Amino acid sequence: MRYGGDNRGRLLIIVLLVTSLFLITLDLRGVQVIDGLRTGTQTALTPVQKVGSWVVSPFRNFISDVTHLGRTRNQMDKLKAENDKLRLALQNRETADAQLKQLKGVLNLAGTAGYKVVNAKVISQGSSTSFTQTLTIDAGTTSGIHTNMTVLSGFGLVGVVKYAYPNSALVQLASDPAFKIGARIAGTQQIGILSGQGTRKGVLQLLDNTTQVRKGDALLARGSQNGRPFVPGVPIGEVTSVDNSPGAVTQTADVKFYTNFSTLGVVAVVVSGSSADPRDALVPPKPRPTPLPTVTIYATPGAVEPSPTPTPTTKTK
Amino acid sequence: MSLRRFFFSFPIFFTVFLLQEAFVTQIRLPAGSLNLLLVVALIWAALSTPEIGALTGFGAGLMMDVSQTSPGPMGHWTLVLIVACYVIAFLGYGDDNIRGNPINIVFLTTIGVVAAQTVFLILGIMLGQEIGSVKQVLLVLAGSAFWTAIVSPLILKVISYFHSIIFGERSHI
Repeated sequence: MRYGGDNRGRLLIIVLLVTSLFLITLDLRGVQVIDGLRTGTQTALTPVQKVGSWVVSPFRNFISDVTHLGRTRNQMDKLKAENDKLRLALQNRETADAQLKQLKGVLNLAGTAGYKVVNAKVISQGSSTSFTQTLTIDAGTTSGIHTNMTVLSGFGLVGVVKYAYPNSALVQLASDPAFKIGARIAGTQQIGILSGQGTRKGVLQLLDNTTQVRKGDALLARGSQNGRPFVPGVPIGEVTSVDNSPGAVTQTADVKFYTNFSTLGVVAVVVSGSSADPRDALVPPKPRPTPLPTVTIYATPGAVEPSPTPTPTTKTK
Repeated sequence: MSLRRFFFSFPIFFTVFLLQEAFVTQIRLPAGSLNLLLVVALIWAALSTPEIGALTGFGAGLMMDVSQTSPGPMGHWTLVLIVACYVIAFLGYGDDNIRGNPINIVFLTTIGVVAAQTVFLILGIMLGQEIGSVKQVLLVLAGSAFWTAIVSPLILKVISYFHSIIFGERSHI
């Protein structure tokens, strides 16, 4: 049976509703008793709330953390991906900076000599398992690159174009054991043949046995007819040791190439040599030793010991 | 008679009030929060006669009004809970299909919580309170409904037990 209610029940509800409305009115009118009641309750509850806070604190965020677990994981994954992306961007930036530096160097070199060059990025290092030293660049015949063209880096000779394809070219490095180049020593103009040895070190065989080679001498490319395969004046390397065996038919010297072949990023292919031989203009300047300042202090016997406070009687030379 | 039972009920509600203020309010639940006192009051009302329901709403509403977290004026929650508890009790009274089935009580309570909060909100707007964005309001209402639906079945048996001690075995589920 549904509840129909009686007068007493209705009266009770009306009284309760009127009471609540009365309370609202009193509160809205700013009666102090109501404010005091709330303040008093809060004061009484504060110690209980402190205890509650102490009890709840170990697992306060537990439910929230559990329910946000998926979201947190997603956020972590997103941040990880973003971190990887940023790291890659940073690496690319560092690579770009290094390539820019190399490009600047190679353009400086080519500009000084008056070579007309085509810049190219190294896209592959040749495998050394076949005992050859090569690399592949991203420019080919469509860019004006053909076989037997000199390849430069910012430091000097890199090698020669061995094969040219429409959009790429294979460069034989100067370190290749099959590589040979006519070289001359800057200054003395002695000539010889430099051969690659598979490392950054080459061997120079001088044609004239009576001439003298010294450690530290710079080697330049002698140049070929019409500038192919080698344009004249390209820096090759520096003599590191000389073999002066008395019985040797020819004089040989070890040469360290200026170019570090393992760090090449950008190279330039000389498509047209300069009208005039640059002679020794491209020889890199020798590094100057940084002077270390030295201080010598002379102490006069019998002089007053230096004190923290300087006095006019202290003599220093 | 009813008043005597009302005073017997007071310690139970006061304990729930303390639990609410000391513990429940400090647990950060996602998507809104749970008002344990409101849930208990509505379940209690659903098991009672309309007069008892109204009195329950009055007592629980007063407790909620004296809470520092209550934004409205004194009597705001009281007015809302008198109506809400009376309506819940009125809907369930004399209908054993509702009272005898815990699912119905949970459903009534959940609806009652959302309705009470909505009425509280509307009354608050009429009294000049700021309610924030509609999205936030809807989120809080949905969160309250969710947590009420989760917690109500867990505490229903306990409340039913205490209710039966005070008001007799008839209301025992």
